[in-house]
Amino acid sequence: MKRLMTTRFATALLAFALGGALAGNGAAAAEADATPGVKVPANTRFVLPNGLTVILVPKKDVPLIAFSGFIRGGALADPVDKPGVASLVAGLLDRGAGKRSAYEFADAVEGVGGTFTAGATAEAITVYGQFLARDRALLVELLSDALMRPHFEADEFSSYRDREIEFIKSAKDSDPSQLVGIYGRAALFGAHPYGRPQGGSERSLGTITQGDVVGFHAANFGADRTTLVFAGDLDAKWMKQTLTTAFSGWAKSKAAPAQLKPAPRVSGRRVLLIDSPGAVQTYFWLGNVGVDRRYSGRPALDLVNTLYGGRFTSILNTELRIKSGLSYGASSSFVRGSVPGEFSIRSFTQTGTTGQALDLTLQTLETLKHDALAAEMLESSRAYVLGQYPLRLETASNWAAALADLEFYGLGKDYIEGYGPALTKVDLAETAAVTADAFPRAADLVVVLIGDAAKIRETAARYGAVTEMKLSQPDFAPAPVP
Amino acid sequence: MSKYSLGWALASCVLLGLNISASAAGKPATPAATRVPGLDQVKSTTLANGMKVIVWTDRDIPNVALYNWVHVGSRNEVPGITGLAHFFEHMMFNGTSKRTPGEFDRLMEAQGGSNNASTSDNVTIYMDWIPRTALDLVFDLESDRLSNLSFDPKVIESERGVVYSERRLRTEDSNEGFLAEQVQATAYVAHPYQFPTVGWPADIQGWTIEDLQTFFKTNYAPNNCTLVLVGDVSSEEAFALAKKYLEPIPRQAPPPKVRTTEPEQLGEKRVAVARNAQTPLLYVAYKSPAANDPQGPAINLLMSILAGGDSSRLHRLLVEEKKIAIDVSASFQEGFDPSLSWVQLTLPEGANPAEVEQALDAALDLVVAQGVTDAELTRAKNQYASSFWKQLATINGKAELLGSFEVYEGDYKKLFDSPAVYEKVTREDVLKAAGLVFQKNHRTVGLLQSPPQAPAAAGAPAPESKP
Repeated sequence: MKRLMTTRFATALLAFALGGALAGNGAAAAEADATPGVKVPANTRFVLPNGLTVILVPKKDVPLIAFSGFIRGGALADPVDKPGVASLVAGLLDRGAGKRSAYEFADAVEGVGGTFTAGATAEAITVYGQFLARDRALLVELLSDALMRPHFEADEFSSYRDREIEFIKSAKDSDPSQLVGIYGRAALFGAHPYGRPQGGSERSLGTITQGDVVGFHAANFGADRTTLVFAGDLDAKWMKQTLTTAFSGWAKSKAAPAQLKPAPRVSGRRVLLIDSPGAVQTYFWLGNVGVDRRYSGRPALDLVNTLYGGRFTSILNTELRIKSGLSYGASSSFVRGSVPGEFSIRSFTQTGTTGQALDLTLQTLETLKHDALAAEMLESSRAYVLGQYPLRLETASNWAAALADLEFYGLGKDYIEGYGPALTKVDLAETAAVTADAFPRAADLVVVLIGDAAKIRETAARYGAVTEMKLSQPDFAPAPVP
Repeated sequence: MSKYSLGWALASCVLLGLNISASAAGKPATPAATRVPGLDQVKSTTLANGMKVIVWTDRDIPNVALYNWVHVGSRNEVPGITGLAHFFEHMMFNGTSKRTPGEFDRLMEAQGGSNNASTSDNVTIYMDWIPRTALDLVFDLESDRLSNLSFDPKVIESERGVVYSERRLRTEDSNEGFLAEQVQATAYVAHPYQFPTVGWPADIQGWTIEDLQTFFKTNYAPNNCTLVLVGDVSSEEAFALAKKYLEPIPRQAPPPKVRTTEPEQLGEKRVAVARNAQTPLLYVAYKSPAANDPQGPAINLLMSILAGGDSSRLHRLLVEEKKIAIDVSASFQEGFDPSLSWVQLTLPEGANPAEVEQALDAALDLVVAQGVTDAELTRAKNQYASSFWKQLATINGKAELLGSFEVYEGDYKKLFDSPAVYEKVTREDVLKAAGLVFQKNHRTVGLLQSPPQAPAAAGAPAPESKP
């Protein structure tokens, strides 16, 4: 099935990276948004006596049912010295549950062509997947088993944990650009839950025990923390009845999830240099704390970030790629959670042009902060965001993710339906206000570089006080977070 | 590849899935009906200049996906200009005699559209995703670059840097990308499939403006393109726009056929790569038939049975039970000419690659000798059905499927027949496919691991150089 492809640009780099703490489901990577014409499809929402929230969205274009759900309290509930517990819990939910062993569970899911994926974000455990519509009864059975009756059996635990450790090493061997954000968040947020590596580190995973996982599930899972959204070729009446039967016996969780406190923005600039001897490129990340999911200037912010680093002709990509040929791509994004997540800029360039690329990057940020936006640019951005959003709200799985997102953040459907009209009203005064408020100054940034330290150490020092570590170190920060 | 990985083939894997209608709601979980709706919504025409236009109207969202499949890829290259098809793809956005470099993107984005493009061994695909209001503009832009492309020497130099950066990202700073390139290059002695699509470094640095001009004249004929539109557009409207903007482009002599065929391989080849690696890689590539081979569906199902998911055979054996690999994938790399099937393993730190290879061989010998079970075959069919329907849920996925079937199999209508084709695959067919593909004399084995001197322990300082 594979056709080797080399693309014009990596869409992952340039896609709207607007997902908040709940992102993790590919379909949910773009938050729920819409053009003036996009309406939330008719849906049914109900809450069982034990607190489980269910949303059903009939959409019958293809014979599939997609699901997207969350359990509040993700990596933020990890023991401080053991990041990765929530992620292991998520990964083990389908490795033995209910009457099925790990093998039997995988056979049941894949035997009918289904998918089941679970993961941990900072604020939630998420589950998502899809089944052929004819397998709806099996879907409900498997989902309820995975959430309510996972086995966390000892051999499965250790085998899965050990493999996760190896995957981090493998990523270091083959894809440093994908890791730079983990180092970046750790450097920016420190001990705040947004700073912890949600998938754990080689070191932390090695310290986690089966007991940690069992304890996390017992303390943090429960019907009242959970929302499940089903979208697709479904019969709402049948689903409600079957889900009620399957989930009514689930107890409430023992406590409410911890509340996050906002992390402060950083002042001044500092540099984390991660040494990858022999690397031929430097992969860089520059960030500061941004804004949260309820940020009132959201439509204006999306328009400004589209212009700055959110599309192919963005200011960043124009400078670093189109005009200079320094990089294959450059982009920026805001992650907006319950509390402000990070604004970050990402790119890479060959080792010898590291300083040139960083200087250009900082210049673009200075320019953005100081120069007024041209009216023509605002119009172009508006047309672009309005023109592209329907493509992110096309499928049942898009809608399952979007409605789960609304539920998680307590946002009404106006967050989707009002977005298009709001975009059409944004003016230059608003874009100026969000640019001043949400984008950091070039002087206030955490700078993270993965590259050949022997060759870029001096360059790195031009951008702030440098802390250095090795890519091969088993943590994502110079010292374990206390 | 690890779950963190972009992977060396991240860009775009076109999935030609098995297509099984699940109209059998409530029936047991076995594939039943095989009808895919929509054939009556697809219309096609061939312009006077030979360009075929295929339209699938789907008014679910107010957008259109427009894909121009140009029948040229790195298989059309020769030594000295490897990577040129891909570089050319980049240059298609960089100016015409009517429009300055960058105007293509600026105009499209200002009307709400986005775009991308990708190049493989076989084809180059230009993709636009637009609100329907931008249709006229997009036809104008596509026509302009097919008719009036021009090359600015300064832009060529800058774009050269972009492409080299892409190569550093995916190949030179990636063990997975590096080993795949080495195995592919080693597997062929004659056929241009040996060239990496991104190009060898010296060629990336050496292309000239004349190379680009020749490549354009030779390959970018309208009669060498297939245009696919899916979305909020009627066939009448799309055909009218195609006639207005694209039909005036004159037909040209078709590009020369790729003459070289790969001679039969008569013994195993091995390639070793010494690069710092915490997790060694073992890739095995087997010579396989072309995409349109009647055994294609059976080979695809075989690959899925071997490594498609946690319940697959090789995953169970090598990852879960023996714990001698952390990840395994298997895929049939379909092309116009006979190509490769890959089995790719990521090994844990400190693994003994010889032991892993032995276990893999034993597992493949077993499937060649005894075939697969009914349960395995049903699972693979259901997985393809599910992927297929997922793809049909988007205008993007439909455009990919229509183009794939038209270009690789000669007729987009086969998309609608393929459920029946896959449904008919039997255990005997899979057994035959296994015997065809898994021949040791036809394989290339690649192993990437740290050089012997390198410290093996995690956290130890690594040597200062990579080859």
